[in-house]
Amino acid sequence: MADTEKKSLADRLGLKVHSGVGNAGWGRTLFAGVISFVYFFPVLWIILTAFKTHNDALAIPPKFIFTPTLENFVSVFSRAYSAGAVAQDTGFALYFFNSVFIAGTSVFLALAIGTLAAFGFSRYPLRGNDTYLFIILTTRMLPAIVVIIPIFLMFRVAGLSGTYIGVILLYTAFNLPFTVWMMKSFFDELSPDVEDAARIDGSSDRRVFFKICLPQVKAGLAATAVFGLILTWNEFLFALLLTGVDTRTVPVAMAQTIGGDIGVRWGLLAAIETLFLIPVIVVTFILQNHLLRGVTFGTVKR
Amino acid sequence: MTAESGDIAVRLDSITKRFGSVVALDQMSFEVQRGRLFVVFGPSSVGKTTTLRTIAGLERPQEGKLEINGRDFTQAPIAGRNVSMVFQSFALYPHLTVRENFAYPLKEAGTSAADIAKRIDEIAQILSLGHRLDNKPETLSGGEQQRVALGRSLIRRPDILLLDEPLTNLDAKLRDDMRTEIKRLHRQFGITIVYATPDELEALSMGEEIAVMREGHVVQTGTPDELYLTPKDLYVAQKIGSPTMNVIGARAGSDGVSINAPFGNFPLSGVALPSGTDELKIGIRPADIRINSAQQEGIAGRVRLLEPLGDITIVDVDAADQRLKIVVREAEALSLQPGSELSFAFDPARLHVFDAESGLHMT
Repeated sequence: MADTEKKSLADRLGLKVHSGVGNAGWGRTLFAGVISFVYFFPVLWIILTAFKTHNDALAIPPKFIFTPTLENFVSVFSRAYSAGAVAQDTGFALYFFNSVFIAGTSVFLALAIGTLAAFGFSRYPLRGNDTYLFIILTTRMLPAIVVIIPIFLMFRVAGLSGTYIGVILLYTAFNLPFTVWMMKSFFDELSPDVEDAARIDGSSDRRVFFKICLPQVKAGLAATAVFGLILTWNEFLFALLLTGVDTRTVPVAMAQTIGGDIGVRWGLLAAIETLFLIPVIVVTFILQNHLLRGVTFGTVKR
Repeated sequence: MTAESGDIAVRLDSITKRFGSVVALDQMSFEVQRGRLFVVFGPSSVGKTTTLRTIAGLERPQEGKLEINGRDFTQAPIAGRNVSMVFQSFALYPHLTVRENFAYPLKEAGTSAADIAKRIDEIAQILSLGHRLDNKPETLSGGEQQRVALGRSLIRRPDILLLDEPLTNLDAKLRDDMRTEIKRLHRQFGITIVYATPDELEALSMGEEIAVMREGHVVQTGTPDELYLTPKDLYVAQKIGSPTMNVIGARAGSDGVSINAPFGNFPLSGVALPSGTDELKIGIRPADIRINSAQQEGIAGRVRLLEPLGDITIVDVDAADQRLKIVVREAEALSLQPGSELSFAFDPARLHVFDAESGLHMT
């Protein structure tokens, strides 16, 4: 019985994702399609706008049929700041690198530290384990706006303002609480018998962790990584105050693009946003099978 | 228990294991001779799993002594025991294929790749798993998973194999097959097996020697016959034998050599009851009662219900306000039906007499 349940779960999560109309039937599939379209429309709108000229972008009623142009994408990286001037490097190549580097490093660090912590909380509970976990979570309960001034001051004193290491440390700290919580729940789901079997088979605790436990929570690692990445990737407020000219991330740079002599350049902003979406979409796509398993893990009683 | 100490594979001496305030093992003692299939039998949560885990080294006892092959391992780490274990849940490595599951203990022991491959082929053949080597455990049937678990435990040639309710998670038909399979492996490998089970049939059919457990300690150790014929107390008497022994309240006769039971007085064979004994329990196995033909005299009873099991039928009988079970052959049961009167008898020598308070066997 447990076998068939497991199999249908694997089917649902692993395979049906790509299989078009499944058991749901056309009616429901169509309904899901409509809902998806409503949610996806703003993204579509941004992508379309990225290919429009300034005039097309402002046209009312909005144009869905237009001659696409790549000029916005060129302007992202290089443009003239006033009419007739020579095109200049906008620095966006660096900002994209900064975003990738900062988000990637901090998510990686949070996963590395958080996974170890989560395993500890799950397998070697302390007296008052739940209290510690709760305290870890409370660090995310304060609104960012409340903590930003003290953090800003601390960063200035510590000389971390405007440095990679400063913002990476901060984002790592951001990602840690939910990384610990999520990974703990994944470790909690594992059968302790399997680990004991490995111990009897001659494994040290370290090898039990790396050879037996970690491979079993791959889906959890993927899901946690994607959540952390999206959170960090889109973060604006702290990046605005704590990054410098050289360490600026794309959201901050994007905000500073607003304005200029011809008003808001919607096409340009949409082009930046479109480029900005690509890495997240690529990562999510690569991890999607793991991700689906990861987010539904634990919701099905095994 | 007369064996030389060199022949003892495992010896538990007054092992006590507490988890917080819960006492899991309470002065647990037994010895397993090398090469034996030794069954630890008892209902769930009686401490069977803790016993095995203690032998494996997954638990360290607070008191007592654990010896494996004559060496003290009470507080020693897992390594060096050369003990392997099959868990009730099988505990296969879900992320590894069958082949990798087999290879795992060998890799951890530093076996060479060529040797590993050879032994995997060997074990896969013994367990007929050759066609499944590259599958993940979740795609296997319950019986195959069980065989993989056995194979993974046997592949590194342990001195002692611990089996923790290995058949509990299998369906009934498969259990019969696996019982045979485990016995075959036991013969083939000649290793010592400690086998925990809550199932009486399993215990009796597999065990060369059985330790009956109750609340964290061993009540009686013996061969299946010994436990069946000479149970030490009421607990063992009621755990061993199916259907369960009939137990009836009785009083000691004033002469000290007879018993007053609800349906008559019976002489005590051989032994006299210690003076002062009054309240007794008498036990008679359902198979030791026979149903009389119409002419013979016996104890009168009325059939409550019949449980036909094929070859035999269990007859539930009311007699003198007592409920008894009688096992009869199918042919004899044909004339019976619920509500019909019958008369039955048994050989008083077959009676088991227990002290009502302590439950100890008195004859």
